[in-house]
Amino acid sequence: MANDKVSKISKRYEIPIGPIHPALKEPIRVEAEVKGEKVVKVDVKRGFAHRGIEYMGMKRNAIQTLYLSERICGICSISHPYAFVLASEKALGIEPPPRAQYIRTIIAELERIHSHILWLGVVAHEIGFDPILFWTWKLREKVLDVLEAITGNRINYAMYMIGGVRRDIKESHILALRDMIDYYRKAADQMKDIFLSDPIYKARTKDVAKLSQDLALKLNIVGPTARAAGLRVDIRQDIPYDAYADIDVRAVVPQDIMGEVNGDAYDATLVRIYEIEQSLDIIEYCINNMPEGKLLAIPNYVALLTTIRKTQGEGIGAHEAPRGEVIHYVKYDGTRDGPVVWKVIAPSYNNINCWGPLLLGAEVADIPVVIAFIDPCLCCNDRIAFVKDENGRVLDYFEIHNMSVNKTMKIKRMLGV
Amino acid sequence: MTLATIFYAIGFPLLGIILGLLYKGIDRKISARMTSRIGPPIRQPFWDVGKLLIKETVVPENAVAWIFNVMPIVALASSMTLLLYIPFGIIKAPLEGYGDLVVILYLLTLQALAMAIGGFSAGSPFASVGAQREMILMMSYEMPLAIVITGFALIYKSFSLSTIALTPVWTLVGPVGWIGLLLLLAALLIVTPAELAKLPFDIAEAETEIAEGLLSEYSGRNLALFYLSDAVRSFAMVALEVALFFPFTFSQGFGLQFSEPVSYIIEGLWFLAKVLILYILAVTLVRTSFARFRIEQASRLFWTYVNIMALLGLILVALEVM
Amino acid sequence: MPTKAMFLMIRQLLQRPFTNPFPVKYAPKNVTKTIEKVKLGQMSINNPIPVPDGFRGKLKYDPERCIGCRLCITVCPANAMEWIPEVRKIRHYVTRCMFCGLCVDVCPGKKLPGETAPVKALSMSKEFLLADYDKYSDNLIVEPTSKEQSLNNQEPSSDQK
Repeated sequence: MANDKVSKISKRYEIPIGPIHPALKEPIRVEAEVKGEKVVKVDVKRGFAHRGIEYMGMKRNAIQTLYLSERICGICSISHPYAFVLASEKALGIEPPPRAQYIRTIIAELERIHSHILWLGVVAHEIGFDPILFWTWKLREKVLDVLEAITGNRINYAMYMIGGVRRDIKESHILALRDMIDYYRKAADQMKDIFLSDPIYKARTKDVAKLSQDLALKLNIVGPTARAAGLRVDIRQDIPYDAYADIDVRAVVPQDIMGEVNGDAYDATLVRIYEIEQSLDIIEYCINNMPEGKLLAIPNYVALLTTIRKTQGEGIGAHEAPRGEVIHYVKYDGTRDGPVVWKVIAPSYNNINCWGPLLLGAEVADIPVVIAFIDPCLCCNDRIAFVKDENGRVLDYFEIHNMSVNKTMKIKRMLGV
Repeated sequence: MTLATIFYAIGFPLLGIILGLLYKGIDRKISARMTSRIGPPIRQPFWDVGKLLIKETVVPENAVAWIFNVMPIVALASSMTLLLYIPFGIIKAPLEGYGDLVVILYLLTLQALAMAIGGFSAGSPFASVGAQREMILMMSYEMPLAIVITGFALIYKSFSLSTIALTPVWTLVGPVGWIGLLLLLAALLIVTPAELAKLPFDIAEAETEIAEGLLSEYSGRNLALFYLSDAVRSFAMVALEVALFFPFTFSQGFGLQFSEPVSYIIEGLWFLAKVLILYILAVTLVRTSFARFRIEQASRLFWTYVNIMALLGLILVALEVM
Repeated sequence: MPTKAMFLMIRQLLQRPFTNPFPVKYAPKNVTKTIEKVKLGQMSINNPIPVPDGFRGKLKYDPERCIGCRLCITVCPANAMEWIPEVRKIRHYVTRCMFCGLCVDVCPGKKLPGETAPVKALSMSKEFLLADYDKYSDNLIVEPTSKEQSLNNQEPSSDQK
C-alpha cells in the first residue's frame, strides 16, 4: 500500500494502544503515530464499554434503578448511587434524616480513600513499579475490611436508599473506623515518603502530563486532575451537600502544599495523597459529631415506590466522586414508579478530553502515565453508542435489528439448521 | 574428541540451564517475599519453559521468518558460550585459552543484538520500538562495561579471565586502586540490570508501554529459547562479576585445607553461594525497588554519570598500576 | 542508590507474606483431582478469611415462611426472582443475583403459631464460594421445594413452554 511506504520512509510507526493493552484496565483505543520515541499524531476513540444501562434504568422502578446505578462502575459504587439519591430526593422533595446524611458521608469518604490508594498503585504499575502496586494494594485491604464490616461487602455496598441509608454504623464499627484512621494516618506519611521522594518516580512523573490551568478550564477538567492543575474545584466545597455542609471542606491544591503548581502527574499524586488525609479528617469529624435518629425518611419501600408514583418532579444530583464530579439527572412524571429520564455524567468523560493535547509531543514511555493520571473509568464513560455504516451514516435501531436478524438467518443457512 | 569435551559440550550447557532456571526461581521467590506475596514455587521457571515448549510457535505474517526463528537460537547459543568462559571457583573454565574478556564482552553484546534483530524482524510496531530502545540502551551501557574490563586488563596486563580469577584483584592494588576498583564495581553493578534487561532498565520490554516490546510477537519454542537465554545470561553475568571482583576461595577465606575431590565440591558450592548472594543484591533487590526509566533518562545516566564514575575508577587504577 | 522503597522492600522481606493462601498455597498439579479429594475429605484446604456479620452471601429461602406477596420480585434490580404461580412461591437464580439484599429488607415474613413476631422467609447467608461449571446447577438455584419434588412438578409445565 502506498500509505505504508510513505510511513516507512518517514520512519513513522502507528502504535495502537487498546482496546486491549497492558496499560489499560478497561477498553478504549488510543492511536498514536510515533516518530522515534515522540508522539506526532494522536487520536482517542471511545465507546467500547457501552452497556445501555441508562435505558435499562428507565424501564425499572426507582429502587431497582438505584442499584443498577451502583453497577455502572465497581470502584465508584457509592458515587453513582449517591448522585442518584441526591437527584431523586430533590425531585421528590424528601429530606433524609441527619444521621443518614452523616453515614452517607462516611461511606463516600471511605470509598475515596480506597479509590485513591488504588490509583497510586495503578500509576506505580504503569511506570513499572509493581512492588509498590502490591504494597499500596496491601494497605488498601484495611479500608475494604472496614467497608465490608459496615456494609456487608467489599465493593458494591448497597448502602444508600432514596431518603436515607439502609444500615446503621454501630459502636463496633466506630471502633474499627478509629483504628483505620490511625492506620491510614501512618500509611499516608509512608506513602508521602515513598512516592514523593523516590528519584525514579519523580523522574517519570515530573513534567509528564503537564496540564495548564487554561487548558484544564477550557476542557472542563474535573476532580483531582483539575485540582492538580491548581484549580480550586470540588463539589464538596462549591455545592456542599449532606454532612459536607457542616464541615468546611476545602479543595486540596498543590499550591497550598508545595507553594507551586506544575499540573503534572507528580502533582496529581500529591493531591491524591493529601486527599486521603483530608478524607480521614472528614470521617473523624463525622464519627465524633454523629447525630442520633432514624435512618430512613420513608422506611417502607412500598410506600416509597407509591410516593414516587404519585410525584412529578426532576432533580440534579452532584457528588464529588474520587475521580471528579459525577452528575445524575432524574425526572419523575407521576405515572410510573421509576424515572422517565435518567442521565448520568461521569467525571472521566470530561477528563479523557485532555489525553489528546497531553499526548501530542509526549514520549511513548509517557503514554501509560498520561492515560493513568486522570484515573480513567471507562465503564462510567460510555453513555451512548453510534453504529455507522461504511458511508458514515448513523444506523438507527430498526436497521441494526434487521441486520442482526439477517446475520442470524445467514448463519442458520450456513449451518444448515 | 575426548570424554571431557563431550561433557563440556553437553553437560555444561545443561548445568547452565538448570542453574539459570534455579536462580531465576529463587529470584522470583525472594522478589515475591519482598512484596509481601507468597510467590511461585522455586521450580516454577522449569514449568514455564516446559509449558512454552509444548505451545504452538506462531510466526507473524509480515515477519522475516528465518531471522525471526534464528535469533532465539543465536541468543541462547551466545549465552551458553558465555557460560563456558567463566571459571567456577577453582574449577577452570572449559574454554580457557580460547578467548578472554574481550570475547565475553562481544558475547554479552551478541545476545542483546540477537534480541534486537529478532524484534526488528517481527514486523510489529511494539517490537520495532522495543528493538530501537534495546539498540540505544546497548550503545549506552557498552562504554562503561568496556571501561571496567580495560581497568582489569591494566591491573593484570592480561585479558585472560583465569589469570584474574586466580589472584583476587584487591590484593594487587593499594588504597588508591581500592577506591578505583570500588568505582568500577559500582559502575558494573549499575550496568548489570541494563545488561540483563531487568528493572529499572527493562525499557526494551516495558510491559505497560509497548506490551513486552521485543518479545511481543514471540511465542512457543522461540519464547522459551529467549526465556532460557535470559536465565542463563543472568547467571553468567553475575558469575562473571563474582569471578572478577570476589574470586576469594573458601580455603583461602577460612584457612582450611581439603583433599582433592572434597575441595572441588566445596569450592564449587562456595562459588554458587557467592553468585546467589550477589544475584539477590544486584538483580533481585534492584529490580524490586526501582521503577522503570525512560529511555532518554537511562541513556543520559549511562553516558554521563556511570561513564564518569567508570572513567574515574579507571584513572585511579591506572595511577596505582603505572 | 538506596531509596526508601528499597528499605521498605527489605522490611517486607523480613515480614510474613500478606497473602492468605486460600484455598491452597501453590496451584496443584491436577485441579479437578484436588477438588474431588477435598470433597471426599482426604485433603484439607486453607480457610478463606472469615466474613463479618451482615455479610451478604448466597440467599437463603424458607418457603414455609413465604406468604407469596411478590414484594421481592418488585424490588429485585437484577430480576433474579421468578414467580411460580402453581405453588405461589418464588424461585431464585443465584447467578443473576447482585447480592444487594433488598429482598431481605422488604420481605414481610410470616408468623407461625406460637411466635410473637414474624420471621422473614429470605435471609443472606455467609456462603460466598459459589463457583460452578453450570449456571443452572442445583447449587445456584434456590427452589421452594426440594429438587426432586420440584422436578416432578415442573415437567408438565416446562413441556408446555
